[in-house]
Amino acid sequence: MLTRREAMLTGVAACAAPMVRAQTAAPFRFALTPVFLDNDAAVISSLRAALMAAMGQDIELVQRRTYQEISGALLDGSVDAAWTCGYPFLQHRADLSLIGVPVWRGEPLYQSYLIAAADDPATSLGNLRGGAHAFSDPDSNSGYLVTASDLARMGETPDRFFSRAIFTYGHRNVVRAVAGGLTRSGSVDGYVWEVLNSVEPDLTARTRVISRSEMLGFPPFVARRDRMEEAGVAACAAALQGLDQTSQGQAVLRLLYLDSVQAAGPSLFDGIALRMAVLGGG
Amino acid sequence: MTSLPRFRNLPVTVRVPLITAALMILMGVMASQSVLSTLGRVQDARLSETARLHVEGLSVALGPSVLRQDVWEVYDILDRARAGSEGQRLLLTLVADERGHVLAATDPRRVPVGADATDFERDAVAPQAVRMTGDPVLRVAAPLLYQGRTIGGIVTELDVTDLLAERRRVALWLLVGNALATTVLAFGGWLAVARILRPVGALVQAMDASGGAPRPIPETEIPHGDPGLAQLIATYNHMTTAVGERAEAERRLADRERFVSLGRLSSSLAHEVNNPLGGLLNAADTIHTYADRPDVVRQSAELMQRGLGHLRDVTRAILDQNRLNRAGQPLRPEDFDDLRLLFEPEALSHSQTLDWQVHAGATALAWQPAAPVRQVALNLLLNAGAAAGLNGRVGLTVANGGDGLSITVTNTGAAMTDADLARLLASGPLPPGGGVGLRLVHDIVAGLGGTVHHDRMGEQTVIRVDLPVHGGNHA
Repeated sequence: MLTRREAMLTGVAACAAPMVRAQTAAPFRFALTPVFLDNDAAVISSLRAALMAAMGQDIELVQRRTYQEISGALLDGSVDAAWTCGYPFLQHRADLSLIGVPVWRGEPLYQSYLIAAADDPATSLGNLRGGAHAFSDPDSNSGYLVTASDLARMGETPDRFFSRAIFTYGHRNVVRAVAGGLTRSGSVDGYVWEVLNSVEPDLTARTRVISRSEMLGFPPFVARRDRMEEAGVAACAAALQGLDQTSQGQAVLRLLYLDSVQAAGPSLFDGIALRMAVLGGG
Repeated sequence: MTSLPRFRNLPVTVRVPLITAALMILMGVMASQSVLSTLGRVQDARLSETARLHVEGLSVALGPSVLRQDVWEVYDILDRARAGSEGQRLLLTLVADERGHVLAATDPRRVPVGADATDFERDAVAPQAVRMTGDPVLRVAAPLLYQGRTIGGIVTELDVTDLLAERRRVALWLLVGNALATTVLAFGGWLAVARILRPVGALVQAMDASGGAPRPIPETEIPHGDPGLAQLIATYNHMTTAVGERAEAERRLADRERFVSLGRLSSSLAHEVNNPLGGLLNAADTIHTYADRPDVVRQSAELMQRGLGHLRDVTRAILDQNRLNRAGQPLRPEDFDDLRLLFEPEALSHSQTLDWQVHAGATALAWQPAAPVRQVALNLLLNAGAAAGLNGRVGLTVANGGDGLSITVTNTGAAMTDADLARLLASGPLPPGGGVGLRLVHDIVAGLGGTVHHDRMGEQTVIRVDLPVHGGNHA
């Protein structure tokens, strides 16, 4: 005999069934960038499975190389939601809304690390003048904006300050470029560096963190503001924020070394906005 | 070159295995060379293929990134290619742009971005031309082609330490293996050849045995499996038997010669004894008839005394000639008197003139042993008497030379034949036919350290025997 709650859930499920079937034809497209562990297929497939289970619909995980491509896809409706960075979110703040922010080590915050080779004597950004530098992405907060704004505060630009600045389009790639000696230093997502330090200690051992930025808003999940009311987007937001509630979701979070995904307001990214202002003013 | 004659002096049982071993070593060296050469070709082909695939693969992957001068992409591709490369053979790969500036390398610390690539293109060869040179690191350079045009270049350093080690290992194994095989085969060859040549060794030993007196090889040692050798040994055995028979024949001939000489002497002596015997019987008869006539008796007694004295001399000469174990007795003038006593009847029986001259003193003669010298002189005299014939002339001259004794026997009549001269003067094998008296003279004189000389002066044959003082037995 069904309890009242179970009967209600069954009814909801029955009502939702035609909608699910209708949406099956067009899967929900979720975009990822190499902001995190871009080479971990297990993470991607687990995330997809968890979202599918939570949202009750097919998920198409779309991978793009740059934040610019992700932002473009979001804005033109090619993808329905994306895990992007605070910097591009703020760049398109008028058109984008937050559907969740990961919580790492208890807070929805992270830092940008300035790294150099393990044997490099540099102790601050100022010591790195004239060397080659690896950025992650020109639209990355931790992988570009933080260092660029610090240089702007010093009255410098990356092109002038560094002998050569390259974009690797991946935080892990920044670590590889510095560890391999391709560049003297790099700007990297602190969260990625710390996770790599756990899973690939041999790689990070060849690098050294010279300086850490202030705590800044963690790269958020976003969707187009005008589509926030859509069932898919809402379901996605609910699924993301409920990841820590399901075993599949918890498995994904464990793989990503995250605690949970929570709702957050744009003010979380004020620090990034401040740096954008510095850069814009420079 | 002294080694070659020395090698030729080695026994054939050593030489043949040595030659076999040398050939085996030569074959081993040639086979090893062939294997190493093939290995080298295989390694070169493998290396060339690796380099070519590496460069071609990179060209395809790197084209767009090099066109965009995308340092990270180039590095990323190189880094991934290095990580996935075969056994870390690719030590270093660098990619340069059209201007020869390094875009990225697998080891940016060694080859920084923007460095001059020409420094690394030095000593580099094209992928298809890469060969093992003994250098553990080989450098390969190739243009970077994209859409049919050259947009840069690739330089790769290949680590061939493992290939060199493999080649060294193979060379070592070949060396050890060939050395072992050569040793085993050479030993086997030695055994086989030694076994095959054993009959030849036995033949050589048999020929060398007993101070040059060949002995036959027993039937059991004849290799009947080898018809050639069996025939050879059979011939040898036949030869040794023939030599033995010949020696026996010579001995018998010598005995016979002696008996003939004795017979001739005996007949002469019988004659010598018989002559006085008639006179003695007559004298005895006269004494018996005229016993009362002292003068006749005395005359007859004197006659008998002379006759008996002559008989006594003849008897003593025979005793001396045939006395056993006269070795060690020195030569005396009386020996020549005995000889004359023995030979004279023989000469007289042929109405020959005897010219007998003994000039050497007793002291000089005493340096020589009596028996052999008497034997030599008697043999030469008998030979001369036979050659001189009826009414001929035979002479004996014994002279004391500067440092020895010289005995010269001359005779008229026919010259000595070549066969006789060979017997008298040479040491070679005895020519067939004829006696052995002359050879006996030769052997005795040689034994005394003397020499025999022959000369033909007009109608006269002159044979001179020179005996040195030291060759004698000074008693």
